Amino acid sequence: MYEHDVLIIGGGLAGLRAAVEVTRAGADVAVISKVHPVRSHSNAAQGGINAPLTDRGDDWEGHAYDTIKGSDFLADQDAVEVMSSEAGEAVLELERMGVIFSRGEDGKLGTRAFGGQKVARTFFVGAITGSAILHVLFEQSLKLGLNVYEEWFVTKLIIEDGVCRGVVAIDLKSGEMHTIRAKAVIMAAGGAGRVFEPSTNALICTGDGLSLAYRAGVPLMDMEMIQYHPTTLARTGILMSEAARGEGAYLLNASGERFMEKTAPDYMELASRDVVSRAEQTEIDEGRGIDGNVLLDLRHLGRSFIEAKLGYLQEVSVEFLGIDMAEQPVPVQPGMHYIMGGIKTDVNGATNVPGLYAAGECANVSVHGANRLGANSLLDTVVFGRRSGVHAVEYIKGVGAHSKTEGDLASEKARLQALLDRPKGERVATVRDDMARGMTKGIGVFRDQASMEGALENLNNVKSRMGGFSIENKGKVFNTDLMFGLELEFMVDCADAVVAGALTRKESRGAHFRTDITERDDKNWLKHTLMYQDDEADNGVRVETSDVKITQWEPVKRVY
Amino acid sequence: MKYAFYPGCVARGGAPELYDSALAVMERLGIEHVELTKAACTGAGVLQEKNLKMGDILNVRTFAMAEQMGLPIMVLCSTCQGVMAQANHRVKKDPEYLAEVNKHLAAEGLEYKGTTSVKHLLWALIEDIGLDKLKETFTRELTGMNMAPFYGCYMVRPTDALEFKANPTRETSLEDLIEAVGGTVTDFAGKTACCGFPILFINQANSMKMVANHTGTAKDLGADAMVTPCPLCHLNLDGYQPKARKQVRGDKADLPVIHVPQLIGLAMGMSEKALGLQKHIVSTKEIVRMAEALPTRI
Amino acid sequence: MPDAKQGTKQETMHVNLKVKRYDPADSGGKTWWQEYEVDIHPDSTVLDALIEVREQNDGTLAMRCACRASICGSCGMKVNGSAKLVCKTRAIDVSPNGEQMTIEPMGNQHVVKDLVVSLDTFFAQIKRVEPFLQPDHVPAQGEYIASNASMENLLTSMNCIMCGCCVSDCTVLEVDSNFIGPAALAKAWRFTEDPRDGKRDERLKMLNDEDGGMWDCTRCMKCVDVCPKGVAPMDRIMELREAAIQAGNTNTPGYHHTESFYNSVKKNGRLDETRLAIDSAGWTNLPRLLDLAPIGIAAMRKGKLPPLFPHKAEDHKKVKDLYESVEGESK
Repeated sequence: MYEHDVLIIGGGLAGLRAAVEVTRAGADVAVISKVHPVRSHSNAAQGGINAPLTDRGDDWEGHAYDTIKGSDFLADQDAVEVMSSEAGEAVLELERMGVIFSRGEDGKLGTRAFGGQKVARTFFVGAITGSAILHVLFEQSLKLGLNVYEEWFVTKLIIEDGVCRGVVAIDLKSGEMHTIRAKAVIMAAGGAGRVFEPSTNALICTGDGLSLAYRAGVPLMDMEMIQYHPTTLARTGILMSEAARGEGAYLLNASGERFMEKTAPDYMELASRDVVSRAEQTEIDEGRGIDGNVLLDLRHLGRSFIEAKLGYLQEVSVEFLGIDMAEQPVPVQPGMHYIMGGIKTDVNGATNVPGLYAAGECANVSVHGANRLGANSLLDTVVFGRRSGVHAVEYIKGVGAHSKTEGDLASEKARLQALLDRPKGERVATVRDDMARGMTKGIGVFRDQASMEGALENLNNVKSRMGGFSIENKGKVFNTDLMFGLELEFMVDCADAVVAGALTRKESRGAHFRTDITERDDKNWLKHTLMYQDDEADNGVRVETSDVKITQWEPVKRVY
Repeated sequence: MKYAFYPGCVARGGAPELYDSALAVMERLGIEHVELTKAACTGAGVLQEKNLKMGDILNVRTFAMAEQMGLPIMVLCSTCQGVMAQANHRVKKDPEYLAEVNKHLAAEGLEYKGTTSVKHLLWALIEDIGLDKLKETFTRELTGMNMAPFYGCYMVRPTDALEFKANPTRETSLEDLIEAVGGTVTDFAGKTACCGFPILFINQANSMKMVANHTGTAKDLGADAMVTPCPLCHLNLDGYQPKARKQVRGDKADLPVIHVPQLIGLAMGMSEKALGLQKHIVSTKEIVRMAEALPTRI
Repeated sequence: MPDAKQGTKQETMHVNLKVKRYDPADSGGKTWWQEYEVDIHPDSTVLDALIEVREQNDGTLAMRCACRASICGSCGMKVNGSAKLVCKTRAIDVSPNGEQMTIEPMGNQHVVKDLVVSLDTFFAQIKRVEPFLQPDHVPAQGEYIASNASMENLLTSMNCIMCGCCVSDCTVLEVDSNFIGPAALAKAWRFTEDPRDGKRDERLKMLNDEDGGMWDCTRCMKCVDVCPKGVAPMDRIMELREAAIQAGNTNTPGYHHTESFYNSVKKNGRLDETRLAIDSAGWTNLPRLLDLAPIGIAAMRKGKLPPLFPHKAEDHKKVKDLYESVEGESK
């Protein structure tokens, strides 16, 4: 059995930022991650990180308003105020740790334009900003001697008397299971992109953190808010950063028209992501696409510019599709990318379960509301990662000694063994595929009652098969087959919450766009949906609502 | 075909048998050549460590000389090939850099316009003369001789500077030659690895391990000899084989290592002396005997 | 939404794989080959084929993969003997005519199971170079001031995704596990080139002096060849050497070797091999000089000891003039 003051689940940006903070505060901390920290999906973020730099005349309220407007007014304004006011220092701190942000002529941090904002306040490293920041945070973790349970998979949170007291996890390399006791646990395990197919997300983004918290009694909030990124590469689904548009790329339909003019004459290609995705999908559905795609055109930017500022995009385009972006436009389409919904927390990362915090994509403070602006995710991770760390350190001061029992270890061992012992049944991949395709079909860029009910039906079918899938690999060492089965279970929980939220919200807001109820309904629906796991409820999900926190900005019609 | 011939430093120094056998082979094939006696050493990658630009200037000077003569360059050494190819690649893709380099060459009345090509004798034989024409000069087939190819790093990497895409035969040039002379290829994993020569004077222990591993493995797999297009590799694999094999494997140096023109010369029926095979540190007596026992055709 | 995996139904490609398997539970460290055949979209990658194997044929196959977009660094493995990131390696490029491709775990690292290697070796090397910014001051306010060119220069190293391909195929690591390795040296380069770092000289000295440091690279270019992100570690190592020499680190045989070569060509237009050997050993280093004796004697007996008065290039004074013009420029 192991013990720590603070245990952080997930070694991405939020997790490592929290770890750095807790280490600095002198507490004993460890990170547990099912992959090596540098493999965390934070590395796939490309375009940049937003921050208002007040010393240059930008005001943080401007960023806050853009964020709130982008969220279609579903974001909690007090949380956004916190994020925007702390953003400047958060980014400067990253630079001082060594991130190689791009510079302006004066040698100070340089910016690029990004979606949903008129002020260019996105700080970046080529088209690899996420990777660049993650690697620097990893360097800092080495400097601080951070303890990492590398390639350990958390199977359950230990909740005793309603308080989070640690985790049960399996060490993938040996197949041995252990209890790790902690006075506070920070969940930073990322998003749930694999609940959909296709998705820009890595294969590891299976909603583990969301489900673990959900099973511990924490509500998942606004799960119907699924972001479809406008520019994912044809056939492969690989993300093509918004930075391309930020640096001036155009979106064209089959006739070569910049179709964004029709729906967002002011912001054009830099309207908020849900607006752009819907515009693209409309072009495609109405026959003005090319093989199910629209075109992202960078030719006018010139080769040397593309290579300097957007090198990774060119690499991807050439390697995966054989297209040289300086010569030809690239086919792109909307692809599932991010989940605004997540574990409900306050501005300190605290959940309704004492001792359990959450930060990063798995959390929902809510700063992104119904639609996230590009380059706000990286900001979210470091601001709330830090805050969770700070608050967890304060919280543990009031926590007594660790229990010496092993919590749920025995029952978890039995549960996993039971999975391994199942007789030959369906393959995990088949079940997951069916679930994910059904989710994308029913909860897509456009949805309606019928499509969402179709998703529910499909999900219920999948759930009926969850007792029958089997694990082929019966070995102990690096049993990814077993892990995939566990991940599937987590994914189904997330899917449950998404479908429940989608069917509950009777309006269109942000990314949740219903073709049967196209208007936003502030009177009835300026609310968050809260999904609780509840065996007594319909489909196992009990849905409640809560009010959105409004401080300075009254909701208005969102126009780009 | 006529070439501007660049034998390199080692062929005129520590591996004279390479120079002699190369000349003999070229004569038999009627390959015309003019030696670039004024050309400087390529730097072998070592000089470039101290000053990359100086290395490029020396090589571009050589290219300019050949360009003035209107002839492609032929080399005998993998390292010369690779170093020159890299320098050529660098200046060809950066006109500003080429202009800078040419500035220094102006004093000698030289200016490189970017048209010179550099080919190892082995590539020239395959690409310009053709293996069929080469085979016409053979008087014996080296049947039953197992030859392990050892390319030398500079002959196989980096593939863009070496123009592998445009010339796919370069990837298997040694193996193709071995088959052309009638021999059998002893394939082994280390054939494109490093011989250890660059670190001979810096970390001898590692250098010896490399020599022992490559020659030992090839011998274990049944090779009668190893053939290499690089005299620097040869210096290590032949010259240091006794020490390496004793130190690392506790056995004897029993794998003769020969140069490309020597292999060709054996197929052409040339004598041991003509090919300088008696000058090797690891005895070549056995393979000479094997070759001479084979039937010759008139 | 189109199918990311299947594409057009009428076209598929048949892929033939031979994978090296290993299970530590199987005592004796035995490895074995397992063959698989799958049908996938013609534009698919080797990773797509392996995932198909794992999902539809054999769930016991262990491998690491995550992003499928060549940014996470998980999926390094050997394809036909050479390390690659299989998510960006097209199957048709490896086997244009459906030839069987051989898949093995990366080299020079301990194998955990099948295609999964331990990352311990790799990260131990990285840690040796103190891979974090060590500024000598903190700016009074705001950020450090640095030019955009200096930050873009660092992109070459920052593009490293720690996939391990270079370490896998390094020919020095094959014979000497003490070598710090190409990935760590490329990382170290990043810090010596970062204007905000205050430890440049110390870093150069450490890597210069260290056993298994920058001078142990044998310049074989394998790392340049296999790196999927254009980091070109060997080129970074050469730059480290040039920087170390410029910073006054002249105490290594590597330095003497380079210096001797440089001067020999300056003087003669050609390389004086005998002189090079002696200079590299060190004129006063008796044990090293004696070490050279056997090869010298052997060469002499075979009549090929390079002449004491070396061959010079014709008109070699022109070479010396060239050197002087270049050296004069940098002053």
